[in-house]
Amino acid sequence: MTSSPYRLPLVLPRLTRVEDGRALGGVAAGIGKALAVDPTLVRLTFALLVLADGAGLAAYAGAWLALSPEDAPQTSRRRRIAGYALLALAGLLALRGLGLSDSLIWPLALGATAIVLIRSRRGGFVALGALVAIVAVIAFVDWNAGDAGIDTALESSAVAIALLLVLGPWAWRLALERDAERTARIRQQERADMAARVHDSILQTLALVQREAHDPRRVATLARRQERELRSWLYPAPGAAAEGGLAASIDAAAAEVEELHGVPVELVRTGDVPVDRHVEAIVLAAREAMANAARHSGAGEVSVYVDVAEDEIAVFVRDRGAGFDPDAVPADAHGIAESIRGRMARAGGTAELTTSPEGTEVELRLRRPS
Amino acid sequence: MKRVVLVDDHDLFRAGVRSELGGAVEIVGEAGSVAEAVPLILRLDPDVVLLDVHLPDGGGQAVIAGVAPERPGVRFLALSVSDAAEDVIDVIRAGARGYVTKSISGAELVDAVRRTADGDAVFSPRLAGFVLDAFRSGTAPVDPELDVLTPREREVLQLIARGYRYKEIAARLHLSVKTVETHVSAVLRKLQLSNRAELTRWAAERRLI
Repeated sequence: MTSSPYRLPLVLPRLTRVEDGRALGGVAAGIGKALAVDPTLVRLTFALLVLADGAGLAAYAGAWLALSPEDAPQTSRRRRIAGYALLALAGLLALRGLGLSDSLIWPLALGATAIVLIRSRRGGFVALGALVAIVAVIAFVDWNAGDAGIDTALESSAVAIALLLVLGPWAWRLALERDAERTARIRQQERADMAARVHDSILQTLALVQREAHDPRRVATLARRQERELRSWLYPAPGAAAEGGLAASIDAAAAEVEELHGVPVELVRTGDVPVDRHVEAIVLAAREAMANAARHSGAGEVSVYVDVAEDEIAVFVRDRGAGFDPDAVPADAHGIAESIRGRMARAGGTAELTTSPEGTEVELRLRRPS
Repeated sequence: MKRVVLVDDHDLFRAGVRSELGGAVEIVGEAGSVAEAVPLILRLDPDVVLLDVHLPDGGGQAVIAGVAPERPGVRFLALSVSDAAEDVIDVIRAGARGYVTKSISGAELVDAVRRTADGDAVFSPRLAGFVLDAFRSGTAPVDPELDVLTPREREVLQLIARGYRYKEIAARLHLSVKTVETHVSAVLRKLQLSNRAELTRWAAERRLI
């Protein structure tokens, strides 16, 4: 046996039935040994208790059932519960023997039972406990109302108070537990979302970066795309009409162009509107302008500014590239003529192009219906 | 040469800025937190502080709040990867002379530091976008002097948002570069002094967090 030097001296000894020096079931001898008193004294106590409506007999039987034999495994749970019940009965009998009236003892017993049942925290038992508590209160009031008759108001308020006292803590604890559970669940879900996000995007990108380390342009594009994605998640655009808005569509178009052509698109926008047929036209035209700038201008960056005013939507796509001669563009080249000018005209807007050796800017404007 | 203090909690980023600014400015000190930065700046009294918007112990505005009362001559340029408008607006309102994103090129950063040292306002396209958004008509202005941008100021900001440099803006609007700078400084002043609902709302929301 290992003994800790810090063991507290006040630990209660384990109560057992002992073979050594037993007279009947070894109960008195066991109690005497555990409490370090003469077993005869214990036996005498039991005997005296028999005088109190036979409480001593019930107590002895209860103790015999509840206590395990020394050096043996614990007795079965069922047996112990029966033992405790008998001990409780002995307690009641002893109280009666002391002269307490039935009108106090039985409600008290019922109340105690109710508390034990409710503390079990199991649905059925709790309900049963509540029922028992009601019976206890009614019994108490009925018994003690005496000749004055039963005051129903008093009775029902007593029941209500008793139920509150008994069930209140239980309901409170239940609510707290449910709350804690919910918080934990939400937190877990958030964690899972975060993990999924990190896995799907950041880890994937890092893996790609390692594989493509020999191509700086590709690595820069990957980093840029990842940055954009992370940003839009961390800092959703202020006032953005969420998914399906002009802001989100332009963001997506810029990201696509960046990825396709490996040129960063610096996007600034103010305001947002929902996308309809006309707004979609301006998004597509802007995308084409961004792609042209990224593909042909030779600039290291494309600047895009989207301004949603009350009466007009304007998109500016600018690069500091080499510029070009608009007249030298072959007439059948689809880009500017069809994808930008034609599209804007059909949507009821305008497209203007300024180009010089210092760079090119495409200006798209669309009046908003008032 | 302009004397610069660098405040950022990422060593790697500080090293990058140091090598980019290289011989163009003199980096006299570096700090990684508000607690380190405030005494350092008070002692060194630099021309410009390059200030990260996000710091572990209080953010860029805490540094400005700690330094400005004693060293009004020190100018701050906010530097951030953050896209959150309220973070940027808050540092500007605390007293920074401008805001640039961390993706800025070395040459542009050197230029921005010089302009900050000269007392000019430095607006990146992104900051111009935020300001246009915040000053968009909507709530009724309480103080028209401070709560509304003039058409000219709006025009200048829109060109900045479109990616134009001051010189290009001047040429396009037939103004001198000095006049463009005056307009931008006026906008900065409004940004710092205006009580426009959108601006105070941003500030208030930040303080709650």
